[in-house]
Amino acid sequence: MNSENPVQTIEYNDSCVRHFMIASIIFSIVGLLLGVLVASQLNFWQMNGKFLEWITLGAFKSDGVEFLTFGRLRPLHTNAAIFAFVGNMMFAGIYYSLQRLCRARLASDLLTRIHFWGWQFIIICAAISLPCGFTRGKEYAELIWPINLMVAVIWLVFAANFFWTLAKRNERSIYVAIWFYIATIVTVTMLYVVNHLSLPTSFTHSYSIFAGVQDALVQWWYGHNAVAFFLTTPILGIMYYFVPKAANRPVYSYRLSVVHFWSLVFIYIWAGPHHLLNTALPNWLQSLGMLFSIMLWAPSWGGMLNGLLTLRGAWHKLRTDPVIKFFAAGVTFYGMATFEGPLMAIKSVNALSHYTDWTIGHVHGGTLGWNGFMAAGLFYWLAPRLWNTKLFSTGLANLHFWLGMVGILLYIASMWISGITQGLMLNGTNAEGTLLQYPNFLDTLQSIRPMMLFRFFGGLIYFTGFVLLAYNIARTALKGTPVNGTIEVDVSESWERHKGYSSFFNAPIAYSAALILTVMCAIFTSDIAFILSVSASIAVCVIAYAHFDVGRVKWSTWHDQLLEHGFGFTVLVIIAAAIGGAIQIIPTVTMERANNVEDRLQIPYTPLELAGRDIYVTEGCYNCHSQMIRTIVPDVMRYGDYSRLGESIYDHPFQWGSKRTGPDLAREGGLRSDDWHFFHMRNPRDISPGSNMPNYPWLFTKQTKVEQLVPKINAMRRLGVPYHKPVEEEIMAQVDQQAAEIVQRLAAKGAVVEPDKQIVALIAYLQKLGSYQDLKAAEIADN
Amino acid sequence: MFQRIIFEDWTEGIPELSFWLTFGVFLAIVLRALFMKKEKLQHLENLPLEDQPCDNTEDEQS
Repeated sequence: MNSENPVQTIEYNDSCVRHFMIASIIFSIVGLLLGVLVASQLNFWQMNGKFLEWITLGAFKSDGVEFLTFGRLRPLHTNAAIFAFVGNMMFAGIYYSLQRLCRARLASDLLTRIHFWGWQFIIICAAISLPCGFTRGKEYAELIWPINLMVAVIWLVFAANFFWTLAKRNERSIYVAIWFYIATIVTVTMLYVVNHLSLPTSFTHSYSIFAGVQDALVQWWYGHNAVAFFLTTPILGIMYYFVPKAANRPVYSYRLSVVHFWSLVFIYIWAGPHHLLNTALPNWLQSLGMLFSIMLWAPSWGGMLNGLLTLRGAWHKLRTDPVIKFFAAGVTFYGMATFEGPLMAIKSVNALSHYTDWTIGHVHGGTLGWNGFMAAGLFYWLAPRLWNTKLFSTGLANLHFWLGMVGILLYIASMWISGITQGLMLNGTNAEGTLLQYPNFLDTLQSIRPMMLFRFFGGLIYFTGFVLLAYNIARTALKGTPVNGTIEVDVSESWERHKGYSSFFNAPIAYSAALILTVMCAIFTSDIAFILSVSASIAVCVIAYAHFDVGRVKWSTWHDQLLEHGFGFTVLVIIAAAIGGAIQIIPTVTMERANNVEDRLQIPYTPLELAGRDIYVTEGCYNCHSQMIRTIVPDVMRYGDYSRLGESIYDHPFQWGSKRTGPDLAREGGLRSDDWHFFHMRNPRDISPGSNMPNYPWLFTKQTKVEQLVPKINAMRRLGVPYHKPVEEEIMAQVDQQAAEIVQRLAAKGAVVEPDKQIVALIAYLQKLGSYQDLKAAEIADN
Repeated sequence: MFQRIIFEDWTEGIPELSFWLTFGVFLAIVLRALFMKKEKLQHLENLPLEDQPCDNTEDEQS
């Protein structure tokens, strides 16, 4: 530091912003194209690989290609859209705004480079592993454990760079956008680590340490909050920085932004169980999920209004400025999606909407409308500034906006109609309520086919808009010169930046912590301990009041201190985000599993069935088939007795699913013959005319990997599944015997296959679904 | 038709308890936001605009 000249010129690291932005644009094209492809697969089963026969004029012959099926490409689409497209966009926006709000260059160029290239490497690994069928079988958490570790390391590199920059900032106050970034970093870390806890069985395979209802709860705690803290809070931070920049006006109400932030962070984390309404999830958790989802209406709309009203006085720019257009539409879609989400979390509405395309429409309203439009607005605003030139074509950007808008509306409207139509048909009964109105699942599928086609065209139009963006930004970059922003900073200005702990360790916080602790003790204890806890709570209140009254301590300054000290603030965010998860997950995970099975206990899979289950997970069958019969009458009439907690208690991972493009499979075992499954997997249309399920020809030629069964069963034993210590010879004998029986039954029906093929293991698994031990009957028999 | 087994009664009170906890936090934050100093607010809300002249004029066309 030059002591004679306190004013220094700082050059921002904007090259990393350019890199992340370019990566985001590339992966937006990839992710959206994959979306269009999987949408086409739902309309035309030939798009699962058969189309290659037409493209190559018959040179390549196949009824289906394993690397191109819906079950494997849909996870690639969602991962590409969330982590590659929005992830890179988020990093670009965060790094640009963080440096300017801190009036400091990013702390480490090396960490920034590691972050950028590490993240892109992870994306490439995902792009290879997912089509190959390497998956954990949990939505948005499919990546295998070595990639999970890389994600954790790179995320920590990002966090270190972020907090280091925050620590060396030259601006005393921390703007609200940075609050949202902090919430993103700490909460995603927590969610990702817990939901990815696995026991590896090989380099490419692991089992989730949670099972059944526990796994379902942890998964949707993660899944819902991936939306909240990966797709929402960082974009809200970007909104709070870039919308005022674009409108050239301060945020409408900073007070409202404070309330928006804390309410959102505190409430969002509780709402995960709304993904499991009417299932075997305990009722108190369902009530909790529904209650907190409805409460989310308030902060979400507060934030939306704050964003939109920031444009007050700048509305005329809507006519000419594509950036304002995208931001205004993006924030409006945020409002729409956050209105629709709580609505769908109401139990009775959810009975209709869940497992249908309505959910798909809702999710895409958020990603295409909120994330996609905010990304487009951000890129059109950034590009001229990062390359020191004008945008290549405002007309093309405007065209992009209208293409995007038409595409989204076509997509969402068709999914609403499709979802409600199919939901009503699936739940429809005769006037007496004794018979299903549409007992054949395929009838409901045929009725929504036109809507699925509209979805395809809507997605295609939206994709075209992003191709225009890529062209526009590329031409802008080519005609300009990359520049890094600079700022004059008076480094002689200093404040007590190293006393951050004082913002956390002070009287109000200490008394609050003591009160929470004593109240918690009162709730969870009884008798003497309860009386002592209540007394202690009252004592804490009295002492706190006396301290405040006698000492005249200026307690109100603690919050102002918080606005200036990143450490204390971060700790409070961690507590706010952790409370919701802890209250939901700890009782569910720690309760004794054996006592909470609702009189039914799942029978563990035989080795061949376990191998078949892994094939089911590999092929991503859970993307279209659920294994959860809900406690609603039409579900029971259609699929059988409702699913109990104990019936999936040994499922690592759970396979309850979230969408029924095909029927529920919870009680599939014994419902149909082995040869039905054999011919159905070879060509579903031979058995079910009109089905859109892919053909699976490779299952008839590829061998089941039985050699991996010993480590897999060992892992299951460690996770609490009651297997005997595996002996390889015994396992092989069991596999051979069960496979031979299936092959024999198949041969009797003219279906010839060798016993070591994957189709045999898969049939074994499907025929096991729904089998359980009736504990009540066993108890009566014992007595 | 449906019989769910209530296995641990105490958990039924958690949603209500959680609601009141959240309501308390919400109330505290609203009060804090309301009593924030005006100068501090002005400084904070103008942070994104410090590298560009702020246009506070109302648009007459809107």
